[in-house]
Amino acid sequence: MSAVARQLTPACAHCGLPIPDARTDEFCCAGCEIVYATIAEHGLEQFYALRAGEPDAVIPARSSERAYTELDDAAFQHIHVNVGPGGAASTALYLEDLRCTACVWLAESAPRCVPGVIDVRIDFGRARADVTWDPQVTTLSAIARYLDRVGHPVHPYRGFDREQQRRREDRVLLFKLGVAGATLGNIMLLAIAMYAGVFGGMSSTDTRWFRWVSMFVAVPGIGYAATPFFTTALGALRARRLHLDLPLSIGILAGLGWGSANVVRGAGEIYFDSLAMLTFLLLVSRWVVLRYQRRAATAAEMLLALTPSRVHRVLDGRVVDSSIEAVFVGDLLEVRIGEVIPVDGEIVEGTSAIDLGLLTGESNPVDVHAGDAVHAGTANVAAPIRVRTTAVGEATRIGALARTIEATTARKAAIERLVDRVAGRFVLVVTSVAVLTFIAWTALATSAVGMEHAMALLVVTCPCALALATPLAVTVALGRAARRGVLVKGTDALERLATPGTMFVDKTGTLTAGQLAVVSWRGDLDAAPLAAAVESRSEHPIARALTTFAPSTRTASDVREELGHGIAGRVDGRLVAIGAPPWIRRLNRIDGGAQLPAPIETWIADLASQGQTPVVVAVDGVAVAVAGLADPLREEAPVALARLATAGWRVSILSGDDARVVRRIGAALGLPPAACIGNVTPEGKVAAVEAARKHGPVVMVGDGVNDAAAMAAATAGFAVSGAAEIAVEASDIYSRSSSIQAVADTVDGAVATLRTIKRNLRFSLAYNVTAGLLAVTGLIHPLIAAAVMPLSSLTVLASSLRSKAFRGDT
Amino acid sequence: MIVLYLVIPLALVIAGSALAAFSWVVRSGQLDDVETPPRRILFDDEPR
Repeated sequence: MSAVARQLTPACAHCGLPIPDARTDEFCCAGCEIVYATIAEHGLEQFYALRAGEPDAVIPARSSERAYTELDDAAFQHIHVNVGPGGAASTALYLEDLRCTACVWLAESAPRCVPGVIDVRIDFGRARADVTWDPQVTTLSAIARYLDRVGHPVHPYRGFDREQQRRREDRVLLFKLGVAGATLGNIMLLAIAMYAGVFGGMSSTDTRWFRWVSMFVAVPGIGYAATPFFTTALGALRARRLHLDLPLSIGILAGLGWGSANVVRGAGEIYFDSLAMLTFLLLVSRWVVLRYQRRAATAAEMLLALTPSRVHRVLDGRVVDSSIEAVFVGDLLEVRIGEVIPVDGEIVEGTSAIDLGLLTGESNPVDVHAGDAVHAGTANVAAPIRVRTTAVGEATRIGALARTIEATTARKAAIERLVDRVAGRFVLVVTSVAVLTFIAWTALATSAVGMEHAMALLVVTCPCALALATPLAVTVALGRAARRGVLVKGTDALERLATPGTMFVDKTGTLTAGQLAVVSWRGDLDAAPLAAAVESRSEHPIARALTTFAPSTRTASDVREELGHGIAGRVDGRLVAIGAPPWIRRLNRIDGGAQLPAPIETWIADLASQGQTPVVVAVDGVAVAVAGLADPLREEAPVALARLATAGWRVSILSGDDARVVRRIGAALGLPPAACIGNVTPEGKVAAVEAARKHGPVVMVGDGVNDAAAMAAATAGFAVSGAAEIAVEASDIYSRSSSIQAVADTVDGAVATLRTIKRNLRFSLAYNVTAGLLAVTGLIHPLIAAAVMPLSSLTVLASSLRSKAFRGDT
Repeated sequence: MIVLYLVIPLALVIAGSALAAFSWVVRSGQLDDVETPPRRILFDDEPR
């Protein structure tokens, strides 16, 4: 199908997607055009040959064409750039859109294309580039511009120290895994010879030699490789908590100790082969889980890096890009349309509208003028303004909110994980059964036989499969979720989501589209294109809604905008005014008219009572129509809410938005009025969440800074696409899609994951009970133990892979 | 079977040196990034 489509419509020369009618050249977008030109300029056409093998990697290029001058700031360089002994400078950058081999090649070709660049090394998994350059010849911004122009916008790589720390931990664990593998291999060779000897006959001198060598390999090998388990078990003991590593450590230590004792006294069984297998399998699972967590952490950090870190500073009348680190109180900043205000400050120049959505949850933009105070984290939506900084960083209102969030997070008690609860009972049962076995066999036979069977019990019930049960199921689920754009921080977040309770949903962006649109139109429909023609000259969100509602090719002249009131202009010789009702009433009086006509006033009152924002259109001084603006519902929201309700969740809307608006949306979704709470402050949200927690688990879904504290207070916080940095930080789960449907999908996935965990736990407990019974009755042979132990782990692995969590298309 | 008393220690020495080599590989960071190098193989040499 796509092949036919490609022949019929002209395809973009860079990415191969169809070219929209509006463009007259060979490219689908400006991004592709820039990248294609840059590739041609530097003679890097080999890119297209490399990419040919990877069809999934072909996407429209995004090139921001930023100047990146903030990267050359002295303040920035001081923090992020290292200067080597030879005068070469180096730093690390995040690259967006690294998707394939060809991307790596293109980025690493920088030394050939930008003079002065010494080396660019890409780390594909971490989306990171290590850049080395000669500061005498070139600048970091020049390198950033090159990377941007080949389709990879860059961001400074913060958290370098954390990265070093992680790298050290990774290396230690990997080496221990290697030691466990080597120990396992060598012990197995010796064990196979000994098992063969049992059946084929082996001189007792040779057997003793084999046993001594086994001990010589096993005790240091396993003893060293299993240290991570010993450390956690000790830590848990000190904190008087139960942890699964405790029975594991008991099993390993008992096996090593009793095995060595048997080697020395020359009688009894040794279990070194089973123990080596167990340690190796456990370390493999730890390593897999750690690798996943690193990947999720990197993705979350990348997300944080995407929030604006550059500002436009006004110095002596000139505007220069600078990094946020270089801004101090008193500095003058320019904030352009669509940008987030980076500091708390006072407007000194310009009139605009500010979207407070992130900070308070209010969805309608607020008009501001020179002299008004603005806060960091709010977005400038209508016109460029200049702001005098009054507070930066932690001192801003957003910074204060961040501290509340930290405090709330610290108070959040860790939930008792299912597997630790099982482990607690497990330790109790196994140790008491071991003591009983010892006493019973001592009474029946000798104390040596009693010891032998009790130790065998401790070793064969060492809960290897139990330890694999949760991490495997969770890692498989998290890996699949990540491919679908859902990032889960920490493995217990899924367990938190699996028990239904109260779910608070912030309205904007999850239930609604998050953008103003014309949802009703009363009066003359012919006035709509006229209004759109005038509004096409404005950047105000209301203007955007009207132009989408009625696209117009006509042009307006004499356009005069009064921010906060309305806009007027001439279209085809007719005077068209669009604005808030009071402004139109005033205009009418000036033009000689009295009050607005009766139907118009009725419509205004009607729309306002439905929670819509009425906007009046007047043509030649006569009000002819009223548009009702609101944030429309997402199509999939009712179905997703119904699914959540079926799963047992009580869904409520908790919003900072106007109460009438919240009630209208709730009614459209079939929610009772009591579950639609509007006009809530960020502090009020925390209070609501904490009140609901008394009755069970609470999940908070949101995207704004105003939700972040509530997310931290809830059992689980769920941040959706476009969320503020701090909301991502406070949440347990982040979804790249902002729809409530993603929330419903994730909840389903969490339930399926918990089901798999429980199935795994049942499998492994069944194995432990069987093996334990054999040991208690003295029927176990080391060969059976060695065969059954990996078998039980493989069963758990198969069960995890079969899990239905996060399966299915999309 | 007297040869076992020579061969097994020898095998352990070899295993030990392999482990030492592995330790060096891990420490020198060659296993930190296992995703990019297999892609780099595909790059052609620069024309001279």
